[in-house]
Amino acid sequence: MRHLRSAVAATAGLSMIALAACSGDSGDTGDSDGTVTLQMVESLTNPDRTTLIRGLLDDFEAENPGVEVELVSPPTEQADQTIQQMLQSGSGVDVLEVRDITVGPFANNGWLYDMSGDLESWDGWDALTDNARAVAEGDGESYFLPYGFYGLSLFYRTDLVDEAGFDGPPSSWEDLLEQASAIQDPSSNTYGYAFRGGQNANSNVVAAIEAYVIDGLDTENAFLMEDGSTIFAAPEAQDALETYFALFEEASPPSAVSWGYPEMVEGFNNGSTAFLLQDPEVIATIQGSDTLSEDQWGTAPLLVGPTGRAAQPLAVAGWGVTEFSEHQEEAVALVQFLASEGPGTEFAQANSLVPPIASASDDPFYSEGPWTSYVTMTENPDTYVNVTQPRDVSWWTEWIQKSDQEIQSVLLGEMTHEELLTSWDEFWTEKYAAE
Amino acid sequence: MSTTATLTSAPTSTEPVVARAAPRRVTIGGVLRVIGLGAWLLITLFPLYWIAITSLKAPGTISRFPLEYWPGELSIENYRGLFEQSNFGVFLANSAIVATTAGATATLIALLSAYVLARFHFRSRGAVLVAFLLTQMIPAFIALGPLYSMMSDLGLVDRKFGLVLVYVAISIPFSTIMLRGFFQNVPDALEEAAMIDGCSRLGALFRVIVPVMTPGIIAAFIFNFVNSWNELFLSVVLMHAESNRTIPAALNGFISTFNIDWGSMSAAAVLTILPTMVMFALASKWIVQGLTAGAVKG
Amino acid sequence: MTAASTERPAAATAGGGAPGSRRRPAFRARHGLTILAFLAPAIVFVGWFTYYPMLRGANMAFRDWNLWDLTSTPFIGFDNFATILSDPVFPTVVRNSVLWVVGSLVPQLLIGFALALALRKRFRFRGVYQALVFFPWAVSGFLIGMLFRWMFNAEFGVVNDLLGKVGLIDAPIPWLADPTLAMVAVIVANIWYGVTFFAIMILAALQSVPEEMIEAASLDGAGKVRMLFSIIIPTISMTLLLTVLLRIIWIFNFPDIIYAMTGGGPANRTHIVTTWMINFTQQGNYGLASALGLCVVGFLLVFCAFYLMAIRKADQS
Repeated sequence: MRHLRSAVAATAGLSMIALAACSGDSGDTGDSDGTVTLQMVESLTNPDRTTLIRGLLDDFEAENPGVEVELVSPPTEQADQTIQQMLQSGSGVDVLEVRDITVGPFANNGWLYDMSGDLESWDGWDALTDNARAVAEGDGESYFLPYGFYGLSLFYRTDLVDEAGFDGPPSSWEDLLEQASAIQDPSSNTYGYAFRGGQNANSNVVAAIEAYVIDGLDTENAFLMEDGSTIFAAPEAQDALETYFALFEEASPPSAVSWGYPEMVEGFNNGSTAFLLQDPEVIATIQGSDTLSEDQWGTAPLLVGPTGRAAQPLAVAGWGVTEFSEHQEEAVALVQFLASEGPGTEFAQANSLVPPIASASDDPFYSEGPWTSYVTMTENPDTYVNVTQPRDVSWWTEWIQKSDQEIQSVLLGEMTHEELLTSWDEFWTEKYAAE
Repeated sequence: MSTTATLTSAPTSTEPVVARAAPRRVTIGGVLRVIGLGAWLLITLFPLYWIAITSLKAPGTISRFPLEYWPGELSIENYRGLFEQSNFGVFLANSAIVATTAGATATLIALLSAYVLARFHFRSRGAVLVAFLLTQMIPAFIALGPLYSMMSDLGLVDRKFGLVLVYVAISIPFSTIMLRGFFQNVPDALEEAAMIDGCSRLGALFRVIVPVMTPGIIAAFIFNFVNSWNELFLSVVLMHAESNRTIPAALNGFISTFNIDWGSMSAAAVLTILPTMVMFALASKWIVQGLTAGAVKG
Repeated sequence: MTAASTERPAAATAGGGAPGSRRRPAFRARHGLTILAFLAPAIVFVGWFTYYPMLRGANMAFRDWNLWDLTSTPFIGFDNFATILSDPVFPTVVRNSVLWVVGSLVPQLLIGFALALALRKRFRFRGVYQALVFFPWAVSGFLIGMLFRWMFNAEFGVVNDLLGKVGLIDAPIPWLADPTLAMVAVIVANIWYGVTFFAIMILAALQSVPEEMIEAASLDGAGKVRMLFSIIIPTISMTLLLTVLLRIIWIFNFPDIIYAMTGGGPANRTHIVTTWMINFTQQGNYGLASALGLCVVGFLLVFCAFYLMAIRKADQS
């Protein structure tokens, strides 16, 4: 029996070592003392924003004794995957970041709690903007309350535009091409346009196409025309691509083939490119730039097409509650808190987002400096038409990867504009036909 | 214990032969050798130098022309930011705890399994070895989803203990195969003698064989430690709270939606590389020696 | 792979004869319980935390398993495999994977070999030198990817700057944006990373080359080159071949550097099988990802079998 004894001893010894070394882990969400611990997950993580959210959560905890919130901040690159795993396992998340891209699939899988019942008695409702209310109401189910909207505007270098002899920033895609080409000067490491060729390249290509087909565009589903055909089949789409890809050929750094969000922002931020088409979030980043001073840059409204109009594909994100949360009451209270006037405005401002709170636009914050272009766009809804893209379809991520790869093929000269449009037209036509 | 003494010196005994001092004579081959060694040293160290220099540049001067190979002013701003704005100390500690525990546990368990796989013949031995080798061929991504569900059911998500268990499981196969090679080079007469002297098998293993195999065990431990220290994807998915984050996950976090924070990233990279580098430097003799004595004879 | 366990003639103690025939008493008696108890922890760990989730994951390969729509995950047979094989990207991925493995492995082997030969003879500071050049091995693939991504950065990268200073280029090269150069860049990073492993393994193996043989040969007047090919390489050939096999498996399954440097781009030109698989998981399509994973396992198994058979045949003749 000597063998047995030694073997048991070995196994036991090992487990002891393993266990002893691992004590001191963070415990479960202990409810023994009556404290409710909420788990909240963000997905568009960045350090400043995490600090901001933590501050708001501290306020919430102070207002709600007995409720604690643990914030989970996975690295952005890994966030969606991590959140999906958590949701699929059906535990460990009470409140989460829900985006227009994820709300459809998440709700479809039964992961999101419908808050419509709780919102009837919510006193913060009246403070929301019309846009925000429309998002919150969804198609009858309220799966999330928005924390802000993302809309494109053109960031430009006032000094470079000036030096090149132009009176002001470009207003149309054609103007942009002209100005950017004039500014382009690779020998001095100055480029015209921070072209997006890498991750999510599709978003700007589609924005350009939508500006060219705006007169016949279905604003409810901005990938379709009013007659139900896709925007990629429209003849104007061809012209849009001519101008748009000419920007790459004539006015962008060659390495932009692989530029995604970080590289584009960095390219503008470090002074090497003159134009950048981006979300308002970038304002805060550029304000903190070590290279650009405040009088060197400004923002202009989104670029218009040949008919003088543009489609503004508003993107939205917010906070929602999981269906399986054991503390739904507290979780809903937290979401309502974050969407209420004070915290909602604070979050949107610090994060530089178009606010979901009606009173916020009266704030001088939004009527000065880089924000004026947003005010211009809001005041001219017929020129800058708010449209909705079908971001909630289940094949959206598939679309993003497919379209991004094909755009790179075009940039590398391996695919023609016609082939690109045909491929995209077929993709969407087939997906909709199969639904 | 004279047998032990001779055996301990066995692996090193190959070295003195090699080490005989050749008469000092400058040959073409000798010159080439020195140039080649120097060139490779430069190539190996340059990226490390570059990341270290990048980490010591003041924020804002990183993307500035002309590139500075030796910054005009050295700044520790990136490092200060790292510790002030994030809990980098906590991440370092987490990684150290997890990697040490997982590395040690896996090495111990592998030691046991390697021992029987080297010493005994039994019908399923081949199957066990193949099963271990097969794990090296399966892309880990297949298992990610189900592993998460399983860990979540066990209540092991977001716990260092859980991460350690997974790292142990990942490390066992390769270190078993590695250690098995070492065992095959230790004559079994050794533990027989000990067992006749009244040691249990386990006693014989730990009292007689393990001391002889120290270099191999250190090599296996370092291998396991480094793998656990560097693992990214499982750590991101299985650990949620900031207080549980490991270094690779923190590094990944410097790539945010807006920008890649190269300053913080490079400072963090230097702090990540240093411990493993020091460990490796201290043990590099044993690693080569261990491998010489074990795995790859033939 | 079974060969790996029998391929060590030096390990006579565990020789492959009939069980027990040449065994001494301590090893001949029945030890079922000991074997079981010693193996149990390893088997439990590997079975529970590796095989169980992997088998469950493999199951997804035969289902329409998309995280974006889990309302139904029907069994669809081999549809996922068909989808992968007919994907227009598939041939590119296969070509890239071969390039990636061969392009990384051959230089790693050659440089590693040269380094090991140079380190064979003792010299002052050899220990320090060894410690310094071996360190890339201790750095994570992801971090190496980020490091080289920074150095290959078109505008602010040190590679372009150095090339410009030396006068080799006039304008910055967009390394990671050019389909051919991007592959070169990721392979360069991988070579830098992998030389160490070869150097360690070969250095270890070199120490098993009897010094007497080398001395005898040099007395015969054999040149260094002839010595290398007639004595050193034959002696360590088995180690070399097995190390190469291990590395092939490993490099094939190693997405970290590419993932961090290019994410598979531009236009899929640096996608290898495993980065493509990550792509599918990010799409949420675990069915396709698992199917691709099974293809990898299948391919590697067949490859190993052929490789080992070839080795054995060459060994016998």
